[in-house]
Amino acid sequence: MNLFSGFLFFYVLILLLIPAAVLGLMGKKLKWYGFAVTLAFTVMVFSTPGKAAFIIGFYILQLLLVMSFLAIRNKVSEKWLPYLLALYVVLSVSPIVLAKLNGLLGLHLEFLGVSYMTFRAVQLLIEIRDGFTTNVKILDFTYFLLFFPSVSSGPVDRYRRFLGDINGVQTKEEYWESLQAGVRRLFTGALYNFVIAGLLQQYVLAVLPETFLGNWGYMYGYTVFLFFNFAGYSKMAIGAGYILGVRMPENFNMPFLSHDLKDFWARWHISLSTWLRDYVYTRFVRESLRKKWFKDRHTGSYIGYVLTMMTMGVWHGLDARYLFYGAYHGLLMCLNDVLDNKWKRFKKLKKDPVWEPVLVLITFHIVSFGLLVFSGRIF
Amino acid sequence: MKMEETKIIEALCEICGAEPEDLEGDMELFEEGLLDSFGVISLFVELESIFGVKLDPTEVERSVISTPDKLVAFVLEKL
Repeated sequence: MNLFSGFLFFYVLILLLIPAAVLGLMGKKLKWYGFAVTLAFTVMVFSTPGKAAFIIGFYILQLLLVMSFLAIRNKVSEKWLPYLLALYVVLSVSPIVLAKLNGLLGLHLEFLGVSYMTFRAVQLLIEIRDGFTTNVKILDFTYFLLFFPSVSSGPVDRYRRFLGDINGVQTKEEYWESLQAGVRRLFTGALYNFVIAGLLQQYVLAVLPETFLGNWGYMYGYTVFLFFNFAGYSKMAIGAGYILGVRMPENFNMPFLSHDLKDFWARWHISLSTWLRDYVYTRFVRESLRKKWFKDRHTGSYIGYVLTMMTMGVWHGLDARYLFYGAYHGLLMCLNDVLDNKWKRFKKLKKDPVWEPVLVLITFHIVSFGLLVFSGRIF
Repeated sequence: MKMEETKIIEALCEICGAEPEDLEGDMELFEEGLLDSFGVISLFVELESIFGVKLDPTEVERSVISTPDKLVAFVLEKL
């Protein structure tokens, strides 16, 4: 079974969400039921021997890492803590590294959901290192790591936020709101993903010739297709989460109205870009400022953007197109930052009624070209 | 507490390139383009050196520090 595709999945999803809705409307806590539903979907999705072996191994590895890090966190001096965290993060990301090398090495191992589950595990390790999470219950950790709606395509949730939702109880009125919001998102997501993206795939992307003009058209078509496909999937995942009492963060906010690239990344795959902002960019820039690594303090920010976007590219895969995509966005974010810092008028232009639409159009084209490369259409 | 509050606002103004009288307590700093990711980190590093406390941008969501009033309340709680 694949998540959010096929009649069987939706049939089982609706069957399993109905009791959640009833419990929620009665004002009951949904944690145990939601956990049971997540376990049921985990068993159904990871049903082949290869997938089952992966998920069991992955779960045990991440559990051992989190619990052992928690146990030794306070016994290690502050000086050595960053090195210890680095070691734990390397171990935590080792399955995703193997997954990315899988194709290159000609292996045939199965790593379904590894990308998003790795984000969850690494975030928790960093939370423990920062001292914001000092106690982890196995059930909470298991539920967080495996939470099925967002396991294969996000959104990327945060541990403390997730915990607040599963351990809290919504009133009947609050749950009624959540249920409506959840059902609305499920339907809108299905419309985006299956109808709009499906039509674009069939009647636009599949018929465009591989000529210069054909590729030019493909660039627009693929950009719009990817939005509806991905935002649709996110909406369905968020919708299912709402019905289970977990209000995951939104992942898209009208990205094609962005007036520059920074604005775009605040609107596109928001949960991923804010994760990378908080755990890659912020960490690097903060160290560079605290330790005065660079004469010009903005240099740290420029390097931080390249590092962050390269991480995003590599996370998608090790193919040349993903590496290019990461470097492309990294360098353009630097350019965006330079314009913000050095060209005072840039901020005003972004709010100017004449110039803003021009900037929106330019940004759309910059983004679309990046996605054309990302699609693998041109190399 | 008044002196600490003034110091926080001064640091914020320096990062934003604004004058204290330009900032209203409930002004949305991110939406107005006065603070961005780099601004928040710079501000926190600056406040860390002024007050000698550890401030972590990932401790709270942005909405908790999105206006001068909220930011001041967040930092004062740490002192």
